[in-house]
Amino acid sequence: MIRQILIICLMLIPFFSLFLRIPTVETESVTAMANTVGLTVILSGVNVWLSMTFAWWLLWTESRWRNALEWLVFLPLFIPMLATLFGLYLILAESGLIGTYVGVMISLLVVTLPYSIRLASNGMAVIGRPLLEQARLLPFKRRILFVLFPLFSRTMRTIALFTTVILLSQFALIQLIGAGLIPTVTTELYQSYAGNNRNLALSNTWMLILIPVLIYFLLSVMSRWTVRILKGRLQ
Amino acid sequence: MSLNVQALRKQYRSRQVLDGIDFDVRLHDIHAIVGVSGSGKSTLLRIIAGLETCDAGDVVFNDRSLLDFPAHERRVTMLSQTALLFPHLTVGENVTLATRTRSRKQAEHWLNVVRLSDRYDAEVHELSGGEQQRVSLARALAAEPTLLLLDEPFTNLDPKLKLDLQHFIRELVKDLGLTALLVTHDREEAMLMADRVTLLEAGKVTMTGTAEELYEHAPGFGDFLMIDGDLLSSSRVTVTETVGEPVRLLKKIYRFGQCFGEYQFEGGRTVILPASESFEVGMTYQVKRKEEKHA
Repeated sequence: MIRQILIICLMLIPFFSLFLRIPTVETESVTAMANTVGLTVILSGVNVWLSMTFAWWLLWTESRWRNALEWLVFLPLFIPMLATLFGLYLILAESGLIGTYVGVMISLLVVTLPYSIRLASNGMAVIGRPLLEQARLLPFKRRILFVLFPLFSRTMRTIALFTTVILLSQFALIQLIGAGLIPTVTTELYQSYAGNNRNLALSNTWMLILIPVLIYFLLSVMSRWTVRILKGRLQ
Repeated sequence: MSLNVQALRKQYRSRQVLDGIDFDVRLHDIHAIVGVSGSGKSTLLRIIAGLETCDAGDVVFNDRSLLDFPAHERRVTMLSQTALLFPHLTVGENVTLATRTRSRKQAEHWLNVVRLSDRYDAEVHELSGGEQQRVSLARALAAEPTLLLLDEPFTNLDPKLKLDLQHFIRELVKDLGLTALLVTHDREEAMLMADRVTLLEAGKVTMTGTAEELYEHAPGFGDFLMIDGDLLSSSRVTVTETVGEPVRLLKKIYRFGQCFGEYQFEGGRTVILPASESFEVGMTYQVKRKEEKHA
């Protein structure tokens, strides 16, 4: 019991100070908010699409390069993010993508995709290959709508949540690749800390908490609603 | 019209799993592939289903190569060791999903065929193992397959349920005029269910024939009990090693309307034997073990 209480306390410590203060709405930059939400939505979508299709391919491929490719994809997980980031910076600088949304998007994708693929692969391993083989015997559209989407909706939501949290944790990446031209809630938060504006910092911190919570909640409602509609079509 | 497996080869790294497999399955037959674990029988089935690729050879069904089509376009369904029902769908939804027009009426029909018409709205986890396997069968049949693949579907069932389901599936396949390919390591199961049997050993076909032919001729395909040598019709069979004391025949059960039947003896012993043998209920016999064929 003591262990459980200790864990709960450790998890809640960061939030004690936040709960004791009333957050103020000081959104100085609508652009930062729009950028954050836009990047989150697009990046989550791309992550879900790429990771699920790649994990599906990994599950079935008989290619002799499978293990090598799997290693290559998970390589960024073993390398410090700053090292990856600097390598990216050099390439994007030569391509003229520094300071652009596309550049920021590519760099965030490189950072998040290995985690997403790992989550998707684990999700498929939990469901198990034999059951997914039964799905493969169904026509494509039925397989996706009635089997794979409902079975993997939780995995997809987790991927979206992870992507959102990772994105919201990136300051150096967005500053470096975005060259200070792409403001997000995270970059503003860091600036508010540097400027010693506690109200702004508090407001942004609440944004950081609310964005993933809201996105996860919305995705949960949407996926449940979709699954219910789809199941209704089997009645 | 039949299924022709032609010179099929499959290698995993340095291991040759299938080494030039050739055999034919006649239309409306139940054809068994018998082999020990690792003989390549499941790989063979998965290649036919389109779940794996082969390195060489062809699988031709009704004059078209199945290898040209993805799994879902082959009109092949598979029944596995476990029922593999989709857990987020109810029993009825699992079957409805498999029907060509997503028709509830058809799903109800197939559930009725497998004697589970009252379980349409049940959750999958509420069913017993045998019931789940029957739903799986209903789902496989609902897809109106031209070829039914049975991948050791009775392995996880208790002996009584296993015999019932074997009988039930055989009758159903025959009534519906389906062609079925059964993969099993259990020779008795093959004898009871199949019209023809192919023996697979280390990725190679060693013999194909009717269960009766294999019983008579195939080395190793008689590793089951027989009764007193004098009564056996074949002169090619050697009977050695007496098993236990003489026992009284209690019951003859020709469950499958086949060339083999089940004989129940005192003490609970059950023996699978040619149905043509004239063993009399109430008489006492000496159970012996068949050794091997004479050339």
